[in-house]
Amino acid sequence: MSGTALSPFPLIPLSFPPDIGNKSYPLTKFPTRKLKSLAKISCSRSDNSSHSTSQQQQLNLSVLRFTFGIPGLDESYLPRWIGYAFGSLLLLNHFGGSDFSAITPAQLRTEVLGLSLAAFSIVLPYLGKFLKGATPNNEKSIPEGAEPIFLMSQNIPDTLKGDLAWGTYVLLRNTNTISVLIFIQDALCVRGYWNTPKDIPKDQVHDWFEKEINKTGLFDLRETLYFPQAEELWEILPRGTCSFLIQPVLHTQNSSSDKTEMSDGFVLLASSSTYAYSSKDRAWIRAVANKFRVDATA
Amino acid sequence: MGAGTLIRPTPLKSSPLSQQRPPPRPPTPGYHSSNSISIPRSSTPVKASSSLNSQGDYRGPKPKREWVADWVSQNNDVVRSLPIYVGGLSLLAVLVNRTISGIAPVADASSSQSRADLLTLGLAVTNILNGLVWLSIRPKSVSAVNPEGVECQSICPLLPDFISSELLWVWESLSDATCCRSLIIVYDKRVILQIGFATASSNTDDAVVVDVDKLMKGSLYQGALKSKSQSYLANLSLYPAKSELPFLPPNTQAVILQPLGDKGLAIIGGDMIRGFTTSDQAWITLVGEKLDATLAKMNNIPVNA
Repeated sequence: MSGTALSPFPLIPLSFPPDIGNKSYPLTKFPTRKLKSLAKISCSRSDNSSHSTSQQQQLNLSVLRFTFGIPGLDESYLPRWIGYAFGSLLLLNHFGGSDFSAITPAQLRTEVLGLSLAAFSIVLPYLGKFLKGATPNNEKSIPEGAEPIFLMSQNIPDTLKGDLAWGTYVLLRNTNTISVLIFIQDALCVRGYWNTPKDIPKDQVHDWFEKEINKTGLFDLRETLYFPQAEELWEILPRGTCSFLIQPVLHTQNSSSDKTEMSDGFVLLASSSTYAYSSKDRAWIRAVANKFRVDATA
Repeated sequence: MGAGTLIRPTPLKSSPLSQQRPPPRPPTPGYHSSNSISIPRSSTPVKASSSLNSQGDYRGPKPKREWVADWVSQNNDVVRSLPIYVGGLSLLAVLVNRTISGIAPVADASSSQSRADLLTLGLAVTNILNGLVWLSIRPKSVSAVNPEGVECQSICPLLPDFISSELLWVWESLSDATCCRSLIIVYDKRVILQIGFATASSNTDDAVVVDVDKLMKGSLYQGALKSKSQSYLANLSLYPAKSELPFLPPNTQAVILQPLGDKGLAIIGGDMIRGFTTSDQAWITLVGEKLDATLAKMNNIPVNA
């Protein structure tokens, strides 16, 4: 018999989640156009179907972007610079152009309109960041004074060590994160760039982290906290953190009458850019955190 | 002998991953997205938001609501067309202003009025162009297609606990974070997990059994394992090799084939064309590597003849 050794295995039925909104969709095709003679339009390909095994039609999706071609220059902020430049020129024209008595109401109207347009242009890139399909800024800048460390508690089983190492690696690699800390049931794993105080010896760094965690009171957390534009709240966070996220690891516990959620620990991620974690990132971070969930009956 | 010994280890808890998970629907007969699960239901369904200790004991700082971000995300289309309207209206306003003030519409920079007009025109044009760029990169809205088939949850019973919990963790992660609705994992020449939606077989109400030999001889499996990297079929209806995956619901929109080392393949079916983003693909690759490392620890499990 063909070797399908599959038997129906009774599991508690898992209900499917509803459609998850806020996905970032790939981009539609758009022909190139000449808009200005100075700058050029570049068509960057975002190929969303990696090689298929058979020679089938590939789905090629192109993106229209306006760029000067200077590497490292973010052109989405161009309206903001133009807004500042033209706005200040307008003010210069108003105060330095001609003498005050010759300013007509028509000119005043134009200037008011111009200044409000300048203000709108300045705000525009900020709004554009939140649109669906906005390309996130994935450049990680390393805060100064921070050193890369990889710290793990010693007295934990090997499988947990392997899982912690994998979890921290994956979070650092796949999200816009520079520092990650996982704290599960007294096991601690710290990886990435952190600002540990320089005057404590190496073997006491672990205790320093535990002390700082106790100060924050995060082990009682039951909901995800996402600070997209944070000032640094706790000493444990590396300097230069612009956004961070704390994901608790929860499991439900059957009490006599109802189900309560108990916290097994948390995952702390810090990033050097604001709005670093989209809803898709947060869903995957939740999935990685659930790997460390403790099954009470296991 | 077909079913073999059914080993029932302790049932796994379905803890709610997100607060918005609806309670399970009662089973209804028929083929179209029915929940016909042929296993006894446990006593009470898990209510997602029952009796959680509200706010817990955490007393630290909490993030404040991001009003602008939420508003922009919800009114996506309005915000995308906003710069064009603003730019266009101001362009008209400048010209109207010039005409009603009785100034000749000549574009020279001699008078300060003209200079102010030129600057305002420049700003209006910037806004229009930015609006055009935003509209051109508007994401194409694709809607999810409910898979036709039956739901099934089958796992090879002879797996050690750590492997079966890892497999179920993979399924939970994929179904929560991506548009995945079906997952089949083939390892070491047999199917060790078939979960989610599957084609119903013609005579019974259960899911169709996967013919592993035929799958392994097919081009999709061979190609995926030879290239040792992920294969993303973003629009499954365009691929004639779709016939090699008869166990997936016939209206599955996208499929990712993730090889697990040399010995296995994970087949992930989604309900939306191009539904898996590049971020999803990267995550699935890493999860596949982890799964391969875990499955490699599995000793020879006897085949259930």
